[in-house]
Amino acid sequence: MEIALIGNPNTGKTSLFNNLTGSYEYVGNWSGVTVEKKVGVFKNTQGHLIDLPGVYTLNPLSKDEGVVTSFFLTESVDRLLNILDASQLERNLHLTLQLLEFEKPVLIGLNMVDVAKKRGIQINSAKLSAFLGVPVVPVVARNGKGCDKLVDVISTKSMKPVKKNLVYYGKEVEAAIAAISAVIEGKTEHSQRFLAVQYLEGNEYVKNYLHQIADAMKLSSILSNLESELQNRYDCKSLANFIYLKRKETIEKIAAAVAVKTDTVIPLTEKIDSIVTNKYLGIPIFLLLMYLMFMLTFDWLGTPLSDMLDAFLTGPITNLFESALTAIHASAFIHALIIEGLVAGVGGVLVFVPQIFILFFFISLLEDSGYMARVALVMDRIMESVGLNGKAFIPMIIGFGCNVPGIMAARTIETPKERLLTILLTPLMSCSARLPVYALFVGGFFAGHRALVVLSLYVLGIVVALTLAKVFSSTILKAETSLFVIELPPYRLPQFQSLWRSTWDKGKGFIRKAGTFIFAGSVFIWLLSYAGPNGLNVDMDHSFLAAIGGVIAPILAPIGFGTWQAAASLITGFLAKESIISTMNIIYFVPKDSNLQGLLANYYTPLAAYSFMVFILLYIPCLATTATIYKETGSKKWTAFAIGYALVIAYVLAFLIYQGGKLFGLV
Amino acid sequence: MNHSFKAGDKGKIVDLSHVSQLVQRRLLDLGITEGSEVCVKCVMPFGGPIMIESCGQCIGIRRKEAIQMEVVKI
Repeated sequence: MEIALIGNPNTGKTSLFNNLTGSYEYVGNWSGVTVEKKVGVFKNTQGHLIDLPGVYTLNPLSKDEGVVTSFFLTESVDRLLNILDASQLERNLHLTLQLLEFEKPVLIGLNMVDVAKKRGIQINSAKLSAFLGVPVVPVVARNGKGCDKLVDVISTKSMKPVKKNLVYYGKEVEAAIAAISAVIEGKTEHSQRFLAVQYLEGNEYVKNYLHQIADAMKLSSILSNLESELQNRYDCKSLANFIYLKRKETIEKIAAAVAVKTDTVIPLTEKIDSIVTNKYLGIPIFLLLMYLMFMLTFDWLGTPLSDMLDAFLTGPITNLFESALTAIHASAFIHALIIEGLVAGVGGVLVFVPQIFILFFFISLLEDSGYMARVALVMDRIMESVGLNGKAFIPMIIGFGCNVPGIMAARTIETPKERLLTILLTPLMSCSARLPVYALFVGGFFAGHRALVVLSLYVLGIVVALTLAKVFSSTILKAETSLFVIELPPYRLPQFQSLWRSTWDKGKGFIRKAGTFIFAGSVFIWLLSYAGPNGLNVDMDHSFLAAIGGVIAPILAPIGFGTWQAAASLITGFLAKESIISTMNIIYFVPKDSNLQGLLANYYTPLAAYSFMVFILLYIPCLATTATIYKETGSKKWTAFAIGYALVIAYVLAFLIYQGGKLFGLV
Repeated sequence: MNHSFKAGDKGKIVDLSHVSQLVQRRLLDLGITEGSEVCVKCVMPFGGPIMIESCGQCIGIRRKEAIQMEVVKI
């Protein structure tokens, strides 16, 4: 049995999904768009739950909202689980009424009954159920209260669709609905009333669908006749608005009957908001939080943990491999491949798992607590001045974790130009895969100021992104319209379980990459360094890798690191940024009694090290990011542009820093 | 709304037709339309967006759009 989970944004859909399903069966993408599609199995294994993006209505405005509409039109689903926010019942019911018109079995999970109660709203779920003609189960998705009952009702009750037109749209509209139904009769398996109403409302997806299956001329003329008729008779603004108001009438009737409102106390949210979105304190508080996040990730907590893991990997684990290899009398080639290639390459990346998980934990915390939307609000003024809007800041912050979901998050931006701009600039956000490179270099060259130097790189990424946003938005990507309306959900104390789950969801990709991409890459790089034109086991300076790197090295000389080693690691960095580290670990194969950081001092000056880090920050989106940019923009031209401008800007900035620094007498 | 917003200002929306189509549609999704009561919660500095509350939810909109909403004091 396939059940779709649908509801408004910020109604606790994700919590409910996590509570109802034990594990993901499948995480993938919706066809055509890179919107994450999550499918889970119910805890009692009685079916699949499909998580749909949050929408306010089935008539979409942005691309991810369109996913829901096309899901309804093209895929088959047995039942709908509609989650409602009890504290925002009236708004949520607009979607519910549209779902009921779809005439599939619907079950309603009435969420946040606790929040509603605190606000003095009490909802009689039995009455609501009677009104809507479908079962209603009150739940608190955050702590799982009522979820058992919900699963029970889903799997046992039959939930026969109740054929009852809840909304009467007035005699003119009803006549048009009947006329459209007659035209599409027998040509579709979907509810005709649903299609007709959506068509009249101006739903582009439904329009395309209907124009394909039925006579487009006839349909258009029904629509335009109705529009002029309503205009003449009622002087209404638009047909969509007319339909909206009819639904609203019905909703008001329902709400009056089922909800009891008493006097309210000021929710804690407003007290917090008066501080964090304060006129003067808003931005400083945001910067302070970012600073704390970086200190915890790099200084206070992350680095000690990474050091411990490093000691464990280079000590006991390497010894274990050594003795195992000796015990099976492995050949010198295999021995070198495993110790110098795999353990050095993969191990060198795995060391950074603690820091990356801490970073992802904080990003999840920002997302779950409701602070992210406030950040968008606080940053809107700055973003607007460079031709973006505050919402573009959210993909950028997510981009700090990984650019791929960051770019995907840009789909919540409604206007196409702003969305494209955000996609192009998000790769400049320093993702967690670049972090190992910084961690390595700051440890070796700037030990006293670790967090500060790393923070400077993150800030540089933001500054470059904003500057380029200004440049692009006033030249090649001029946008006429901009839209910024953002819902600020109440603060929620994040549940540890869901925090851990979303941290793990984000972080496991890094571990998986280490096991696949980095693993294969390490073997390949090691082979290139082991073999040369003169045979196997050559001196590394005469290997294939040195030859390839040597071609590029002269170009890099003016920016401070014209060595074949640096060039070779940059090439592998395109596959995944953390391969830079695994490549370096292989190239500068580190003898037991020293470490890579110490060795690097022979190859880089501090100034060159900083220039190198700046170059790494900006120079190219990694392979996965490039693929995502291509999928999201659907354009080879813009994908090539994203790579091209990054290379240019990275080279220019690294050049300015290195040559400028030398002028000022820095080394 | 008039040009000087203060936190705590309250009013009822009487006309949204001067606000851009996209913004109108999004406000409608959030349940804010003619007849809704709104209250200014806070105002960002340097001409930044404002945060308004309507029917128990908070939303952020830009000042230039807020100015185009016609609101009467209640």
